[in-house]
Amino acid sequence: MPKETIYEHLVGEGVSRREFIKMCGVLAGAMGMRKVPPVAASNLPPHLARGAKIVHEIAAALESKPRVPVIWLEFQDCAGCSEALTRSQSPTLVNLVLNQLSIEYHETLSAAAGFQIEENKQRIMQEYYGQYVLVVEGSIPVGANGAYCTIGGRSALDHLKETAEGAMAIIATGNCSAFGGLPKADPNPTDAKSVAELLPDKTVINIPGCPAIPEATTGTIAHLIIFGAPPELDSLNRPMTFYGNTVHDRCLRRPFYEAGKFANSFDDEGARKGWCLYKLGCKGPTTYNACATIKWDGGLSFPIQSGHPCLGCSEPGFWDGGGFYAGQSAPLSTPTIAMVGAAAAVGAVAGGAVATANKAQKKKG
Amino acid sequence: MDWNAILAFARGPLFNAALLIFIGGMLFRLFRVVMLGWGKDYSTSRGSKATGVVQSYLKGLFVLPFWPWVKGTFQRNPIPYIAGGLFHLGLFVVIFLGTAHMLVWKDLLGFGWPTLPMPIVDWLAVAAIAGMLALLVNRLVHPVMKMLSGPSTYINWMLVFLPMITGYIMTHHLFFRYEVAYSLHMLSVDAMLIWIPFSRISHFMFYFFSRTMHGAELGKQALTP
Repeated sequence: MPKETIYEHLVGEGVSRREFIKMCGVLAGAMGMRKVPPVAASNLPPHLARGAKIVHEIAAALESKPRVPVIWLEFQDCAGCSEALTRSQSPTLVNLVLNQLSIEYHETLSAAAGFQIEENKQRIMQEYYGQYVLVVEGSIPVGANGAYCTIGGRSALDHLKETAEGAMAIIATGNCSAFGGLPKADPNPTDAKSVAELLPDKTVINIPGCPAIPEATTGTIAHLIIFGAPPELDSLNRPMTFYGNTVHDRCLRRPFYEAGKFANSFDDEGARKGWCLYKLGCKGPTTYNACATIKWDGGLSFPIQSGHPCLGCSEPGFWDGGGFYAGQSAPLSTPTIAMVGAAAAVGAVAGGAVATANKAQKKKG
Repeated sequence: MDWNAILAFARGPLFNAALLIFIGGMLFRLFRVVMLGWGKDYSTSRGSKATGVVQSYLKGLFVLPFWPWVKGTFQRNPIPYIAGGLFHLGLFVVIFLGTAHMLVWKDLLGFGWPTLPMPIVDWLAVAAIAGMLALLVNRLVHPVMKMLSGPSTYINWMLVFLPMITGYIMTHHLFFRYEVAYSLHMLSVDAMLIWIPFSRISHFMFYFFSRTMHGAELGKQALTP
């Protein structure tokens, strides 16, 4: 791969300067840069072209930086995050990452296969040591010495450690790689682990979701390439731009929550009128993600808009976080009848014993 | 700090443990009283025990709370009466007729019921919180109340107030992230559940116990309880 700059590559692909500046504006927006001007490339006085600087910064970065190779590893996953990415309808950003930046290795998307692609991966890892971005999709099973998931005869854990070593940044996309996801759900038969658990001394940027919102993944990759550093992260290492608010905070059904109007079943009047799904188990209040704002399929809809409560798929352990359709206020687990009976019996017997002792003492005294 | 893990703990194992301690503790208290037995009643039966119990409940649940002038306490110091009344009303509505709490009961009991609209529950919660604050001020200011109050009194107040205020903060998304407020709410609820059997908050059960016993005793003697 020649070390041309991203801009040079785009010009070679037939992108005009005007399109390039537009793309920079879209990127700024997608990355949550606050100052995106309506007319950035104009020569308007500063007070009219507020914040034009951000776009110029992005343009300058893309003009000067070489293209960054991306290595995309898939382990215990369903390829759903990759599927979401290829089906996302926001052309500029995803196109930029998928086509213009070079995804050098992707088990599902690469045309090559077998030893050829593994060789290519090794070549990229050596040539761009310390410069490539590693994206991981899927959890890593460590049970049975990693035998539950092997690629090219080597365990997932082996691949991860090897590839992570020379990576400029590591992104865990999807709940499986970020927090363990479905494979890690109780009883976790393969002893699945998240990327961060296995790479404790590296900063892993988590883009959880099931699947992750494609724009969140590509926006973070773009941020890394443009600024050379990870975006601001929250306590679970998720970019604040996309995970700064709860789904509930930005939900289109929120006014119904405030007004106390809830759907009681999936087919009652409330459901048909689009009322709040809290009683049907919506986890929106504790789920940090951008579903309600970026939405899916080019901003068409997202689960709550389509009538289904949020499952909380961008939070750790969401599979074991209580019933999907049990209201969030309900306890995670309740004591069994036997436990209640035992507690009641112990209380009653102890109470009776103390009373009897008191009585006996009174008689004596 | 992973507040989601704290929340899972407070909603799961800790809540279970608190609930079991609460149930066991309340039965301990009840049996400790019941098993002591009663003094021999030498009076001859002139009335009906059942009538006495019914009268006792009618008076306790419908007369005393709603006809203030019947109570001497109201004439002497109306603040505890009004604030206490608002607190108990608010507490009842929030716990049984608030949507989020009904879902807890539904999970525990296996059946649910219709709830009141959020704004109504909300204003009654505010009334309950304001009532609690008024009661605290009254307790701190009133010379007799001050003498009657010990450390456990203030712990009682605190352990009831914390779930209420954290619940309000959580519902309105104030100050904290939701999972933090939710965790604080659940932790304070768990603490309260464990504390209740060993404190005077257990009057929620003994009130009905003594109303029943008292009503029966007086009813037998054909007196109005």
